Amino acid sequence: MIAENTQTQMRKGILEYCVLLIISRGEIYASDIIAELKSARLLVVEGTLYPLLTRLKNNGLLSYNWVESTSGPPRKYYLLTEKGKSILGQLDSTWQELAYAINTSKKVADNETKDQINLNK
Amino acid sequence: MKKTLNINIGNSIIHIEEDAYEMLTVYLNEVKQHFAKSADDFEIVTDIENRIAEMFGEMLNSQQKQVINIQDVQSVIAQMGSVKDFESSEEEEAEEYIAPPQFSVKKLYRDTDQAMIAGVCSGLAHYLDVESRLVRLIAIATIFLGGSGILAYVVLWIMIPRAVTKAEKMTMRGEEANLRGFANSYLQPLVHHSRGFIAEFLDVLGNFINGTGKVIFKIIAAGIIAFGSIAILSLIVILAALLGIWDSNIYQLFPLSIINQEYITVSMFAAFIVCVIPVLALVLFSVRVAFNSRPMNKSLSFGLLIIWLAGVAVTTFYVVKIGSEFKEGAEFTQVNDVKTFQTYTLNIDRTRFFTKEDSLRYSIDPGNYNGRRILTDLDHNFDAPRNIRLNIEKSENGKTSLSQYYKARGKTFEVALKNAQNIHYDFLQHDSLLTFSPMLQFAKTGNWRGQEVDLTLKVPVGTKLNISKDFSRYLDGYGYWDCNHDSNSEFTAWKMTDAGIKCEHEEAENNGE
Repeated sequence: MIAENTQTQMRKGILEYCVLLIISRGEIYASDIIAELKSARLLVVEGTLYPLLTRLKNNGLLSYNWVESTSGPPRKYYLLTEKGKSILGQLDSTWQELAYAINTSKKVADNETKDQINLNK
Repeated sequence: MKKTLNINIGNSIIHIEEDAYEMLTVYLNEVKQHFAKSADDFEIVTDIENRIAEMFGEMLNSQQKQVINIQDVQSVIAQMGSVKDFESSEEEEAEEYIAPPQFSVKKLYRDTDQAMIAGVCSGLAHYLDVESRLVRLIAIATIFLGGSGILAYVVLWIMIPRAVTKAEKMTMRGEEANLRGFANSYLQPLVHHSRGFIAEFLDVLGNFINGTGKVIFKIIAAGIIAFGSIAILSLIVILAALLGIWDSNIYQLFPLSIINQEYITVSMFAAFIVCVIPVLALVLFSVRVAFNSRPMNKSLSFGLLIIWLAGVAVTTFYVVKIGSEFKEGAEFTQVNDVKTFQTYTLNIDRTRFFTKEDSLRYSIDPGNYNGRRILTDLDHNFDAPRNIRLNIEKSENGKTSLSQYYKARGKTFEVALKNAQNIHYDFLQHDSLLTFSPMLQFAKTGNWRGQEVDLTLKVPVGTKLNISKDFSRYLDGYGYWDCNHDSNSEFTAWKMTDAGIKCEHEEAENNGE
């Protein structure tokens, strides 16, 4: 239960970051975002994406254009706003920091286990 | 073969099978409910609906088919994710959201799959979570309690909707009409058909009504609409008339004279509601039958029922209140001496009184009692309960007298006595002609409280009496009609003997033998 909670917390932040990264490469449709996320092995159902996109849009990070579709109704294509770009920049640096923090912590942990193994010998 | 529906989702028209539609409806309802707490719920749900529409479009295109079936819906839901999937990836504050309480899920429906008659009892059993046999037993027991059970059954039959769709049948059983419940119900059909023969008979009857009988019922319904409308109209007219369009003298006449003046408006209105709503309901129902229109708006019918019950409550209140004014009885006697003659002629005063309005119109001095009379000799139908009784008895002291015995009822003895004293009864003696009034008058305006007067005329033995036909109507148990040999004559001759009055004709015969 505790692990699950932490996992959810981790995934939530990363999902948002990933979605912003995917959109930053250019205008994209929601189901294509899903496809991208799947190929990045960040599994998520489509239903989860819509609230997230709506929230990001309302916070001014995203905007969308209606694009006519050959099959069915017009689609919403999302793109990053200037604000979104600057926030993505901030997230990039935060991610660097986090990655460093984790790598460093892992090294320390690895060293400690090695030390313990050495002691046992 | 399966029934299909046309739905408009995300501005596209999709053909969908009925069971798939039900599943999709349940899914979308769950989604809507889930996002209802979010400020952007409309946008999110629209996005989701648009995407589902698109997925349906793709499916129909790629599989070269016309109709969306339940497998398609299942795969769409799998792709879109269930509400549970949404929850696990939601923000923390969302977890504070309290799910609507479980009991709201259960709804009252009629279970026609397990019906004995119309599924009311089995529906109630589902709702109350008890054995349907128990409910039926209670229902049968109430029939013996004055038949109220039958009325309740019919009312419930009309008011409770039938569980038609799968989702409705599931809510009837209190199973959550969510996707898991749905999946279960498809794996194992939960419907065990066990129907009573009456229910089967009603089905046959229903088919008959739908087919051949329809025309007959429509004709009957049209008749009910016509008569019901007239009845409603006349009730409205009566109400309007009673509530002041007519002159207020109407309240002095018998059935209305029971009601206290200050209660009239409210009690009349309540009584009107009690009468008019069943008729209105019948007419509305007939309109439905005759024109195949949609069932009555549920809130309207509930509203009518509540208004009707309120009317019944108010009417009952006044009935009890007025009824309590009949609780105590009081009586007093007044004896008047009558000048003695050998022969009396007993008759009923056939004059009538002017109404207050007529008195004013003909400038008759209202202070002068005698001046207010005009002659009418029409036979008058007395609509009040019989409140005058005449007796003729033997006088012990050789004098002629008339005892007037006044009776009335009231809330307390004092009030009852006051009511009795309020009785005004006219008795006139012109030499040997005794004239009795045909009706009671109230000295002051008052309500009918069972006012009665018993008159006993005591005459010495040997006195002859000529009794008129009119007078005889007020006599009880004297065998007046046996005496009346010559039916053309207005009067019959009687004589007071030691054993009470005797028909003079008979007396003569007896003496002659």
